Amino acid sequence: MIEIKDVTKKFGRKKVLKGVSFTAEKGQITCLIGINGVGKTTIMKAIMALTPINSGEILIDGEKIHKGSYEKITFIPDTITMLPQMKIRDAFVFMADFYDSWNQKRATELLQFFKLNETDRISELSKGNTAKVNLLLGLALDVDYVLMDEPFSGIDIFSREQIANVFTSHLIENRGVIITTHEINDIEHLVDKVVLLDEGVVLKEFEVEEVRENEGKSVIDVMREVYQG
Amino acid sequence: MSVKFNNRDPVYVQVIRHFKEQIARGTFEPGQEIPSRRELANQLKINPNTAQRAYKEMEEQGLIFTEGNLPSRITKDEQTLKMVREELILEAVDTFVQSVRSINVPVQEALHLVKDTYERENN
Amino acid sequence: MKRYLKLVDFEFNRFLKLYLVLFGITILSQIIGVIVESRNYLNHANRVIYQDLVPIAEFLENYRTISLIEISYSAWFMGPIVICGVTLIIYVFFIWYRDWLGKNTFSYRLLMLPIARIHVYLAKATTILLYVLGLVALQLILLPIESQVLKWMVPSEFRTDLTISQITGLSDLRILFPHTFIEFVLYYGGGITAVFIVFTAILFERSFRIKGIIYGVLYCAISLFIFMAPILMNEFILGSYFYPIELFFIELVAGIVVLACAIWTGNFLIKNKIRV
Repeated sequence: MIEIKDVTKKFGRKKVLKGVSFTAEKGQITCLIGINGVGKTTIMKAIMALTPINSGEILIDGEKIHKGSYEKITFIPDTITMLPQMKIRDAFVFMADFYDSWNQKRATELLQFFKLNETDRISELSKGNTAKVNLLLGLALDVDYVLMDEPFSGIDIFSREQIANVFTSHLIENRGVIITTHEINDIEHLVDKVVLLDEGVVLKEFEVEEVRENEGKSVIDVMREVYQG
Repeated sequence: MSVKFNNRDPVYVQVIRHFKEQIARGTFEPGQEIPSRRELANQLKINPNTAQRAYKEMEEQGLIFTEGNLPSRITKDEQTLKMVREELILEAVDTFVQSVRSINVPVQEALHLVKDTYERENN
Repeated sequence: MKRYLKLVDFEFNRFLKLYLVLFGITILSQIIGVIVESRNYLNHANRVIYQDLVPIAEFLENYRTISLIEISYSAWFMGPIVICGVTLIIYVFFIWYRDWLGKNTFSYRLLMLPIARIHVYLAKATTILLYVLGLVALQLILLPIESQVLKWMVPSEFRTDLTISQITGLSDLRILFPHTFIEFVLYYGGGITAVFIVFTAILFERSFRIKGIIYGVLYCAISLFIFMAPILMNEFILGSYFYPIELFFIELVAGIVVLACAIWTGNFLIKNKIRV
């Protein structure tokens, strides 16, 4: 379980996170929703210790992040984290060199799934394919938790469908996933839990099936209530 | 297999309904093997946890059964299969009756129209 | 340890192409320099001897023979050394900023490696050190070759053949090739410490951005002050109380303190404060 406890974060005088708390379970897909600039990406960076927080605590399976944690949790930002001049194959070698959790078999499988070519140079890939390689590099790690920042934004519809298919496959099964989006439509039926954010605070945290069952509301209905009510 | 889900009903309920329809229609035969929960999630593009929940509910309702480590199958119990069919028919009738009632159509007229339309479509 | 070495290997290869260009420039320019400078010398000698009819013995007395030391002061020879030096100084900054700037988010990857982050810092420093040592080694290999070229170009009575030790000891090359242990510690120890200080200052900037520039500059000033404190005290307060050798060892200690602080602070920043 990933626990975010009362996290605050300031950029200069501007408070971007004002006491954010929520949890994300292993085996579940948790979706952070909010318009751009509400601190979704900052939360992910904070979980990965890629930006310091001012107060609060973040625990991964009960412990603070340390170097070994990066074999257990990974972050897929919305831009590729490999050198552009590398070929996909070189990126694989780099990952295998540094991560015990790198699963080459799965990487090859994903390569076929996404119909990518390992001799392609990253800088020469289309936007959609770059996003797929980025996703691949994260998903081919045998980690318990995967954080994805806007995996659907700015790419073509077919790539989106392919990426959405990943969520219903064994590639995600049993892992804990946190995904951010400002647009729930693509994945409404895929997520277990939704955390609604606005201006650095959590407005609501709920299980989607529960809300459908008990209140007969879709995620959009809840959002409408919360943001406009 | 592709299903259009709505966003307001629990997805697992919609999955169960989808199964019931297939059973009533005969697409799923008694004792037929059904996809694993992962395959189902993949086919329907839903969360594997939801597929799991749907199977659990169906198992409890006796719609499907699992023997040991074998894949789950559609029930062979005649009684249950009959009930599924009746349930769906009654549900449809309920919906129909509600809508015709809301515009004050007498039952004779409604039945007549139903018969006509049904026969025309069969031809 | 294995991953640290892999990281060094990775960082080393990232700049290899440009580094090899530096090698090429140095080799070409210095060899051409030897040829051009010896030609100039011979042309001059010919003019003096055949046109002005000065006897060879008198010419040699007035104008001296040519050796690699004279050549080493030419732009052909010093130019590439300066170019390499300046390039490496720029790369001390670029080795960090290339991972952050532009669309490149490789810094994410580096900071998410399952290794202590100080290894990233040390690997970058090691890379710079290896680059410096590589260029020094190249110079060391080039000198005997250049001696040979000089022998082909200039008749023996007009040139002075020097050993590598003489060439490096008697010219400005002495900075690259220290001849005593004290010089070695001063030049290379000082150089390494300076690189670490700049690295830590860069991490200040990367952690606190605009404010970080101020912190970084302050930090450099404080480091420099600690390093200079013994000399300043000896000069202005104690009235040259210490012998030079004593002062050297005190400076050595001050240098080690500054270096240790740089690495400790760098570790703290990259572990707790860095931003992507």
